[in-house]
Amino acid sequence: MPTPMNRGAFAQAGSSLAFKTGTWRSAKPVHVHATAPCHGACPAGEDQQAWLALLQEGQLQKAWESLVTANPLPAITGRVCPHPCESACNRGHYDSPIAIHAVERWLGDQAILHNWPYPRLPGSPRSERVAVVGAGPAGLSAAYHLARRHYNVVLMDAMPEAGGLLRSAIPPTRLPRDVIDAEIRRLMSMGIEFRPRTALGRDVTLDELRGEFDAVFLAVGAGKSRHWDVDGAVPADLHEGLALLREWLAVGAIPKPNAVLIHGGGNTAVDLARVMRRAGVRDVHVVTASGLPGPDTDTDDVLNVVPRELEQAIEEGVQFHPHRTINRLIMRGSKVVGVEMVRLKKLPDGNGRKSRVSFEGTETVLHVDMVVPAIGEVVDPTGLTAILAGRDFIDTDMFGTVAGHPGLFAGGDCRSWIKKLTNGTVSAAIGDGRRAAEGIDALLSGRPPAEENRPSLPFAELNLAYYEKSKRVQLPTLPLESRDDSREIEGGPDSAQALAEAARCFSCGNCLACDNCWTLCPDNAVLKTRETCSDGSHYLFDYEYCKGCGLCAAECPCGFISMVDDD
Amino acid sequence: MTEMNDPRARQPRFRGLEAGHRACQGCGEALAARLVTESAGPDVILTNATGCLEVFTTPWPQSAWRVPWLHSLFENSAAIASGVEAALKAQGRRSKVIAMGGDGGTFDIGFQALSGMLERMHNVLYVCYDNEAYMNTGIQRSGSTPHAARTTTSPPGKERMGKRHLKKDLLSIIAAHHIPYAASASVAYPQDLRRKVRRAMEVDGPTFLLVHSPCPLGWGHDGSETIQVARLAVQTGLFPLVELERGEVASVMPLRHRVPVTEYLGLQGRFRHLFADDDHRAREEREHLQALADYNVERYGLDGDGDDPFDADGADTVRRGGPASS
Repeated sequence: MPTPMNRGAFAQAGSSLAFKTGTWRSAKPVHVHATAPCHGACPAGEDQQAWLALLQEGQLQKAWESLVTANPLPAITGRVCPHPCESACNRGHYDSPIAIHAVERWLGDQAILHNWPYPRLPGSPRSERVAVVGAGPAGLSAAYHLARRHYNVVLMDAMPEAGGLLRSAIPPTRLPRDVIDAEIRRLMSMGIEFRPRTALGRDVTLDELRGEFDAVFLAVGAGKSRHWDVDGAVPADLHEGLALLREWLAVGAIPKPNAVLIHGGGNTAVDLARVMRRAGVRDVHVVTASGLPGPDTDTDDVLNVVPRELEQAIEEGVQFHPHRTINRLIMRGSKVVGVEMVRLKKLPDGNGRKSRVSFEGTETVLHVDMVVPAIGEVVDPTGLTAILAGRDFIDTDMFGTVAGHPGLFAGGDCRSWIKKLTNGTVSAAIGDGRRAAEGIDALLSGRPPAEENRPSLPFAELNLAYYEKSKRVQLPTLPLESRDDSREIEGGPDSAQALAEAARCFSCGNCLACDNCWTLCPDNAVLKTRETCSDGSHYLFDYEYCKGCGLCAAECPCGFISMVDDD
Repeated sequence: MTEMNDPRARQPRFRGLEAGHRACQGCGEALAARLVTESAGPDVILTNATGCLEVFTTPWPQSAWRVPWLHSLFENSAAIASGVEAALKAQGRRSKVIAMGGDGGTFDIGFQALSGMLERMHNVLYVCYDNEAYMNTGIQRSGSTPHAARTTTSPPGKERMGKRHLKKDLLSIIAAHHIPYAASASVAYPQDLRRKVRRAMEVDGPTFLLVHSPCPLGWGHDGSETIQVARLAVQTGLFPLVELERGEVASVMPLRHRVPVTEYLGLQGRFRHLFADDDHRAREEREHLQALADYNVERYGLDGDGDDPFDADGADTVRRGGPASS
């Protein structure tokens, strides 16, 4: 039968569409939504790639809502997190990593400015009640994630205000108090009941809580300084680093010796060093067994400090002594007049672990009149002796479950080290709170807890021909002479800068909607859809015609397409 | 049968070349023809010289074309296009005629007909899909095959290192006809290719487009590498992307970072003999090809200054939602 063939019309009979070239294929392209490295590295569990993508689409509030599905405190973490996301960012192998912390901070500030409400998950109110002990980052995060899931949450803290170490241990030069106030107030307005001045072991016991509530989450932090001495010697006027910092934050008083040595390599040590330096202490030395960041320093050997904080501390004149420890205190009576330091390194010991090796013959003497240990803290055992059983931290699994105590969960700084999870940062505590909420919800709903686990996208999977080089945003920093004890030192980006920075995201492992696969398929086997497909893209593979050449996978800029064997 | 809920029927672009054609996996020519007909739109009449494109799109009784299409012989695509154009003119119709051919049908066998078409100033766009050998008949050398490439009729051995002669500078010969517009393009730069097709479609008179289209089978690379190979041909300077108006260079795609030719050659089996360790001629021929690339860069002034968004590094970059330059 003759077929009418009008110009531009579809050639019905006789069209090559009758010939399914898909039968030629031995491998087929599939969309694989791999984890962007930033997401994989985030202790809080944020998917930075997802919210940067929404910013690229200009959907500001949706971007924030995506961010707070994991981390309810972006204005805070954007300021204080050591951003392992940026260290992991694939863009770092290309020009310079996305300034994720700056965009996060800006987005958090936008939410406060516009008072965007925290979204809840779909579902109906739950009858169960959950107690959260400790209103620091872990407790706030758990309370938030439980409130999102419609639980009745009672959050209690020994202090009159919520915030934990955000208030008691982080100087306002890094984290202004009005930011803490605003973000926590907004979070609390989700219907979280707050009981201030309620200390475990003093005002309430763990047994009472476990009787009253369906589940209890312990986020009591690590409030007791770790014991410190040098071969048994301790100066009579010893002050612990965290105690000094807390005292300074509470009443503004700080000792002013001529020269001080701070022993430790964390944020407490560096914060305290900067406070003392600004207070007028001439020589501020930080002695740490870790190394300064550099090409010869292993990543697990670097000081556990926000990198830009370290740079600013050095600018301000704090003297660092990396890869060193204190061998001996030089005492006159019970007073310190100096220390003997020795070089050391953390080296593999042949059993797959690292141990500290000090090098004989490298001893040096430093004259100081005060030594402040800032080597970390352990859990205050008050009210928790039954749980701790003599140990420094509470043992849990990754969902915070405390074995042998049904309904009891713990997380944040009071948890012991777990493989693959980090400890000791605000973001790690937020991640603990989020996973514990999942653990609690799973327990109360009678299902196993679940955590997303997708493969990570390596740098080599990206096609860099499609990305233009661009410069990382430069953030305003207070000049040295204007820095004091209250003004925030690093400023945030403006809206144009934040959106420009978000536009630099490679979109690792997620569809960029760039049309490359659709444009470059020689066989018309990639179809574009107006609606979003179930895999989050706008493209379909037409396997009836796809010959499996792999061009789309090779030319996908963001590694969203993989070729798999087709049987 | 196509129904309205079939996403293929609702694609937001015109498809002149439909799926189901028999081109090899990763065929550069199929991609080029798809992009050209897509940009030209439905109001065209195509003529096609004998060659891969003609064979793989029209195995009887099927056709992958969705626009009127004619094939007669190897040597007369331009002659047929001239006739179709004259007939349309006599009927007072304004459809554009596009003549197509491979490099064999254009550089060599159909060259006389092409030259006549240009000389008579027919309103035809001639598109040459340049895959640098007679691929349809089994990879014989053509006037377009680059120097030192292996084909079945220019095998490397004791006497020769692949093709002895140089690639014919067809674009200059075409431009010497003083036609309004002639340009080179590449499948690796689809935005640029589309723009050049649209530009040629607007011109009333003869126009010419030379589209570099890798052939995975003939060039000896994986089908997934077609774009990568084509991109390197441009970035090395071996295939300069230029536009000529009335014989004068009107614009070029600058190279921000020039890539050494060995990166391009090393991806392809047809140049594998140039990497033989024990043959001093291999080094000589690699240097020769580098010198040819350097000559192109100098002749067309391809060295870019600064980060031009339309240079070989910037032209095809993407952002969320599509090409960065659109």
